[in-house]
Amino acid sequence: MKWVSLMSGELGTLIQLLLRSLETGSVYALAALGIIIVFRTSLITHFAQGSMGMFNTFLVTTLVVSFAVPLWAAMLCGAVSAVICGFLVDFFIIRRAKRVTPVGRQIITLGLIMIFLGLAPMVFGVDPLLLPRFITGGDFRIPGLGASISHNAVLNISIGLVLMGTLFYILQKTKLGLAVRVTASNEPTARLMGVPTRTVTLLAWAVAGVLGMLSGVMIAPATTVTVTLMNIVQVNALFACVLGGFQTFYGPVIAAYIIGIGNNLLVYYVSSVWGGQIMYLLILIFLIFRPNGLVGKKYVKKV
Amino acid sequence: MHNTVTLPEGCILSVENLSMHFGGLKAVDDLSFAVKEREIFGLIGPNGAGKTTVFNCITQFYRPKEGRILFNAGRKGESLRPMNLVGLPVHRIIRLGMVRTFQNVEVIKELSLIDNVLIGAHIKFKATVLEQALKLPRARREEKAISEKAVEALDFLGIADRKDLLAGGQPYGVLKKVELARTLMSEPRLIIMDEPAAGLNDSETDALAQSIRKIRDTFGCAVLLVEHDMRLVMDVCDRICAISFGKFLALGTAREIQTSKLVQEAYLGEEEE
Amino acid sequence: MIAKIYKNPYIRFILFGVLAAMVPTLADWGVIRFGTITTLTQVIYFGIAALGLNLLLGYSGSISLGTAGFMGLGAYIAAYVLSDLNMSFLLGILIAILVPTAIGILVGLVSLRISGLYLAIATLCVSEILLESFRQATDITGGMSGKRTSFPSIFGYTFDRASTFIFLVAVLVLVMILTYNLVNSHLGRAFNAMRGSEVAAQAMGVNLLKYRLIAFALATAYAGLAGALCAYYIRAVSPTQWSLNLSLLCLAAVVIGGFRSIYGTVLGAFVVWAVPDLFLKRLPIIGDNPAIPFIFNGVLIIVVIMFYPHGLVHITHDARKLLNKLKKRGKGDADA
Repeated sequence: MKWVSLMSGELGTLIQLLLRSLETGSVYALAALGIIIVFRTSLITHFAQGSMGMFNTFLVTTLVVSFAVPLWAAMLCGAVSAVICGFLVDFFIIRRAKRVTPVGRQIITLGLIMIFLGLAPMVFGVDPLLLPRFITGGDFRIPGLGASISHNAVLNISIGLVLMGTLFYILQKTKLGLAVRVTASNEPTARLMGVPTRTVTLLAWAVAGVLGMLSGVMIAPATTVTVTLMNIVQVNALFACVLGGFQTFYGPVIAAYIIGIGNNLLVYYVSSVWGGQIMYLLILIFLIFRPNGLVGKKYVKKV
Repeated sequence: MHNTVTLPEGCILSVENLSMHFGGLKAVDDLSFAVKEREIFGLIGPNGAGKTTVFNCITQFYRPKEGRILFNAGRKGESLRPMNLVGLPVHRIIRLGMVRTFQNVEVIKELSLIDNVLIGAHIKFKATVLEQALKLPRARREEKAISEKAVEALDFLGIADRKDLLAGGQPYGVLKKVELARTLMSEPRLIIMDEPAAGLNDSETDALAQSIRKIRDTFGCAVLLVEHDMRLVMDVCDRICAISFGKFLALGTAREIQTSKLVQEAYLGEEEE
Repeated sequence: MIAKIYKNPYIRFILFGVLAAMVPTLADWGVIRFGTITTLTQVIYFGIAALGLNLLLGYSGSISLGTAGFMGLGAYIAAYVLSDLNMSFLLGILIAILVPTAIGILVGLVSLRISGLYLAIATLCVSEILLESFRQATDITGGMSGKRTSFPSIFGYTFDRASTFIFLVAVLVLVMILTYNLVNSHLGRAFNAMRGSEVAAQAMGVNLLKYRLIAFALATAYAGLAGALCAYYIRAVSPTQWSLNLSLLCLAAVVIGGFRSIYGTVLGAFVVWAVPDLFLKRLPIIGDNPAIPFIFNGVLIIVVIMFYPHGLVHITHDARKLLNKLKKRGKGDADA
């Protein structure tokens, strides 16, 4: 009977890994969704998504740690701050950069990284902070397999799924979603047809800000809150957009989960030091064969 | 594999059974025609006839789904190698002796006219990166020799006096000439022009017609014009092929095309809209 | 005659170098503080990295976020060759250029084949990998505590701070001249064509992948050289130096100074690395905050991109134009 328990042990580990991957996948998916929403409405690769999220996570953590504000209230403040950040960036910068070249606009978001990276230690201090989990204890156990998942992880996964479900519902079924999609496919025409593209873009930046903050708050308890908190999330979210293709909203989300799962499996089964790097390498190789990503379409330029 | 093809006698380019679709739309449908050596050949058709698509299929900016683009490859002074161009990378085409111009004039605004013309000689430079960085003799020599040729090309088109001015501030007519001068630098045997008369006024169009003839007579190369403007085509072309909705309509001299019922209908149909 | 000599670009570069090389003497005389030398040295080696980035960004229009990672690689290699292998520092510099370039070519080959846009993402990833390797490969890099090295020496002469500075100035001038030659050759024209019109470049026979790759390889080579020089001047290499922040600062130098301008890049490097040290620090209240330079540069990038896309190097040109205009107007008023 020994091999049965071994088998179930192996299987248990695998399921355990998959469950945990869903949590990291959710974090990447939220960040990636923010990047893709901005890309589709403003045609900007949003490199500052991570650092903006880092900044607002710092705010949430400081409120919790230094001012003893309950986590949910702190997150509400974080969301408000994220919306304000998004508004400010769009209103004062992006909206006025219509005539800047695509490369120039990408550089603007790199400038934003510098501003947020500089502001964070100035406002919140240089000491690393600890953000508590929503639910501190408790696991769900899967009987017979030895796999378990913390209540907090389940909550994170659920928040991610519910949020993305809501966003996709809004994008596909509502008038606002239609406006976003129209802006995404052709901004000048959409404007001429009376779509309030400015409001749409403004909203996109705000939503991206909130998504970044959420992914920051989800990843934070696993480590400490420092200025580099979101580096890995940012890299993975960008890779999710590349892998999923920049043409759809759902592609990057699917890709984010794939990256989350692939990463954990490689780290556990192949190499704990180089697993992540192997994942990136695999993605790059995949892209050589499918340059437009998993669900991307080929785009023929007219000359 | 490329070497086994044969072109019709005396032809430099032969488009055979070319088809290209975008989604469900057939932009070009089973089109065939051939351009002779040293000939000025016009491809005409009403708006949306698929002219530019044919053009982009020949120059490999588009990959045609069906058909062959046969070209008698070889620059001036090289031995000729007939081959099928389909599937070759775009940047290889100019090395085979075929060079194109653009409908909306693609010049580099931040560069002087002579530098723009020198870009056309890109394939003639042999110096390596290191030789260029250190300005070794070979790099210096070829830069000097090719620059002189670029001045000649500008002079040929009568704009040598502007050679050091930035392209950004130049009038459209001058930029069209810069593009022509640029094509000459690679010593092509076929120049293919995408709507060269677009955006030019009548006198500029006449000057263009003269330039095209002069280029053919001086350099002995064939010219393929893809053109909407009937005046230019009727004026300079030895033979003309008319297409409509991606399909072949008629082939012949300017007079034959003008009197062709099919062509008249295609163009009149357009005007009625 | 003198005007003609002054117009010669090479003589100008050398003149610039001679002036810069006088900095240690000025410090000896007490005109400037010794600390200023260290600040200006930063301008030199980061300026070299920024020059490479300008070749890539200004000409071929691709962004790299891996400058710092490749610089770090160059710095560790240079320190390793000099201190662990006890070999000539010149060999150290050579290897510090070649190895990052080789890695850069591999990265570029994969990401540029897909799309120019992906280079930024791929290099971001590569620099994270490099940074992690600097921390992990403790045998070579010394891990988190870093690695020490010494001033280089040649033919029994050991450099000191002042002579290393002069050596760095010489390298900078050499790099500026080489860059000038490159951008004014057919390579430079191909880069320009690629950025100005991809379709025209292709039609004229420019292999986009090849030339983007050359631009990226040059950028990594410059970064490797810059890293080696940095290691030999500071005589210590630690993993914290090579974070994304440094890559962003290099980018800032290019943007602020001016795309496709050699002097502009050096000016940009001066603004990014010397202005905060020499001027901002003296401001009341905010001067003490270490985050100020970073925010200053971040804001400056955005402002320059949006309102002054040619960069600060264009100021002299614009000032002259304004002056002429004022003169003309003054004259017109006088005539009236």
